[in-house]
Order: sequence, then structure tokens, then C-alpha cells
Amino acid sequence: MAAPGNLAVLESDLQSAVTLLKNLQDQVMAVTAQVQALTKKVQARAYPTEKGLSLLEVKDQLLLMYLMDLTHLILDKASGGSLQGHAAVLRLVEIRTVLEKLRPLDQKLKYQIDKLVKTAVTGSLSENDPLRFKPHPSNMMSKLSSEDEEEDEAEGQSEASGKKSVKGTVKKYVPPRLVPVHYDETEAEREKKRLERARKRALSSSVIRELKEQYSDAPEEIRDARHPHVTRQSQEDQHRINYEESMMVRLSVSKREKGRRKRASVMNSQLHSLTHFSDISALTGGTPHLDEDQNPIKKRKKIPKKSRKKTGFRRRR
Amino acid sequence: MTLTLRSKKFMTNRLLRRKQRVIDVHHPGKATVPKSEIWEKLAEMYKIADVIFVFGFRAHFGGGQTTGFGMIYDSLDYAKKNKPKHRLARHSLYEKKKTSRKQRKEEYKNRMTQFRRTAKASVGPGKKK
Repeated sequence: MAAPGNLAVLESDLQSAVTLLKNLQDQVMAVTAQVQALTKKVQARAYPTEKGLSLLEVKDQLLLMYLMDLTHLILDKASGGSLQGHAAVLRLVEIRTVLEKLRPLDQKLKYQIDKLVKTAVTGSLSENDPLRFKPHPSNMMSKLSSEDEEEDEAEGQSEASGKKSVKGTVKKYVPPRLVPVHYDETEAEREKKRLERARKRALSSSVIRELKEQYSDAPEEIRDARHPHVTRQSQEDQHRINYEESMMVRLSVSKREKGRRKRASVMNSQLHSLTHFSDISALTGGTPHLDEDQNPIKKRKKIPKKSRKKTGFRRRR
Repeated sequence: MTLTLRSKKFMTNRLLRRKQRVIDVHHPGKATVPKSEIWEKLAEMYKIADVIFVFGFRAHFGGGQTTGFGMIYDSLDYAKKNKPKHRLARHSLYEKKKTSRKQRKEEYKNRMTQFRRTAKASVGPGKKK
């Protein structure tokens, strides 16, 4: 009773259906052959898994169960039954969930599994293999004090037993025994340190920086950052302003501070900075001259200790 | 008369029962604005005159801007308790003693001459005898 158009559609469908079923049959026969071969091998104990990773064993079993349930479902469906409320569906869902949850664990064990596989394949690892380096926390423990070791052992045991050990007796705090080092900074070393610092400062001065930019191949960077002439004095001023505003007080300015400020402002207002560059004598080996906002180098004088009769007016050095 | 007042860092200080703020004054082209003018302006903004205190005005370099502090107390009693005396005196809420330090020390010394040895310690700074 179907219209002639529908009949043509049905005929073409029939053709493809027959070819598909034939393909299916061939594939099923191939799969059965393979599964039978595998079963024979497993029964002949060709794959011993007692000493392997238990996670992988669990995964194997789960996958097998999944396949069994799936085939059961296919059988039922192929013989015309419905899948509604089938017990196998629930089992499948459960197994699927467990497998998904196992996936991150798998990720974490990836390194170990790779290492084991490599060992199994090559027989043994070479000396310089980076896979061989495992962290040894026992190396970080100090071998000096025996009390620390005992404590660590006790902690390890309690953790292994699975309960948190509440420390019954409070142990006295023993500070770590560090070896004291003798302070022996001579004049020569102080000079060396000062020279080192001056060298560092000279290397980051504008003269050297411009030389570097001239001869390097790197592209020129223009940074629109803070004020280019930010000095120590301006930073101190900013700090002072912040303090005053948050504390709602006005701080008094000492004479030295006033002098410093005046010097800094005078330097900025003149054209001094155009022709005066920072000191690079540390690199060239000349005599040092000073930057504007630094204090003049004072020679250390031996101040004789006098008994102070007049403590009222202290002379300012 | 382009006087602009702006307040920054506003805080309600519950401990000292006041509202405190940093006041930024813009007065382009004029000299530094005196404190009394700023006080009047705040008074007409907030309608209460006697619990407002302003202090610490400093002009910025180049002129045109001044920064200072302002406090508004909850009531006059709290203001009298919490404020330092010289600030209250500026608003004539407080009168300090007019006797000079030299005079007071002289009086004390004279009183001390009447006693001997440890009794000198018992001479107080107040008006005894």
C-alpha cells in the first residue's frame, strides 16, 4: 500500500542494509577468532599479573566487565528485546563512572609506569638516566642531632598507623645548632666591598647604558614608567607625605633634612644634570667624584671618649 | 574667588568620636588661604560651626594648592576632651594660665627655703600656705 516513491527508497535501503550485515558478519568472525586466541593465551599463563601494578589490574578487570555487559546488551537488542530498565545498563553506568574517576590517578602514575615499562624493555637503566633521580627526603634531615631523628621516626610510625598522635608531653624547644662564624672583616675587605658596590652602580649608570644600547642588537625599548629623575629625596618626600596624611599629623623637618631638600631642588632646577654624569671611576680606575643626592664620603675619625660634663648642648658632627 | 575644597582619605574615627579627613584646597592665582577662611567655608558646608577644627595647612611648591587636615567632632564635649589644648585655644574654648615659667619657678624656690632637708620634697607646685 506504500506509494511507488517510497518503494524505490526502500529498495535502495535494502541493498545497503544487506552489504552492512555482510560486513558485520565478517567482522564478528574476525573478532571471535582474536578473542579465542587471547583466551587460550591467558589460560596458558602467558601474562602473569600478580607482581604488576594493582591499579592496572583493576582497570583490566573493569574493562572486561564492561565488555561483557555490552555484549549482553547487544545480544538482547539483536534478538528483539528492549533495553528499558535492563540491569546491565546500570552496571555499565557504574563501571563507566569508576573508570572516569580512575583517569586522574592514571595521569599521576604516568611517570612511574613509563619508567617501569622502559626498565622492562631495555633490561636496566643507564647511569645518567634522569628517570633514576628520585627525591630522598632523608638526605635533607640533619645528621647532627639524634633527638630530631627519634622524633621523625615516632611521627612516621604514628602516621603509618593512621591516627594523629597528640603530643602528650610538650617537648622543650631546642634551637637549631648552627656553627658560629667568626666575624673578621678587615679594612681591606671593606674596601673591596665598597669597590664592588661602586662598580655595580657604575655599570647601571646612564653612560654605560647608552654605550650598551649603541652596540647591542636588541631593539630599543621605550618604557613609559615612573618619573625618569626619581631620586632618593623625592622618594623620601613621598613616603613622608603618605605618613602625614594617614596619621593626620605634621612632622617636623630637621635642619639636615631641610638642607638635603634644598640641595635636591636646586639640582633639579638648574641645568646641572645635563652636563654632569654619574661616577664611573670604579670601572675606569680614576678618582671618585660624587653623585648629587649621596652624602659626601667621610673619613672615619677616631672619636675620643670624653666624660661629658655638659649634656645639655650636644655638638652636632 | 575660585576656592575649591576637596576632601581625601575620609575616615570616621569611632574611638575619638570624630570624622577626620585630608583637605585639598585649590586656589590658583592667589596666596595661601588663611585657616579662618577655610573654617568658614566648611562651617557653611556642614552647617555646624563650633565642632569643626582645621590645622596643618601646607602649600605645595609653585603655589595654587594647599593640603591640610580637618576634623569634625560629634559634640562639643568630646571635642573638649579629645583635642589638644592649643587647638581649643585657637577657637577660644580654652584659656591657659598667663603666669610665666620663670615666675612660677621663683615662687617654688622661695617656698622651698622655708623647709629643711627632706621636708623640702613635700613642697608642692600648688599654692601652699
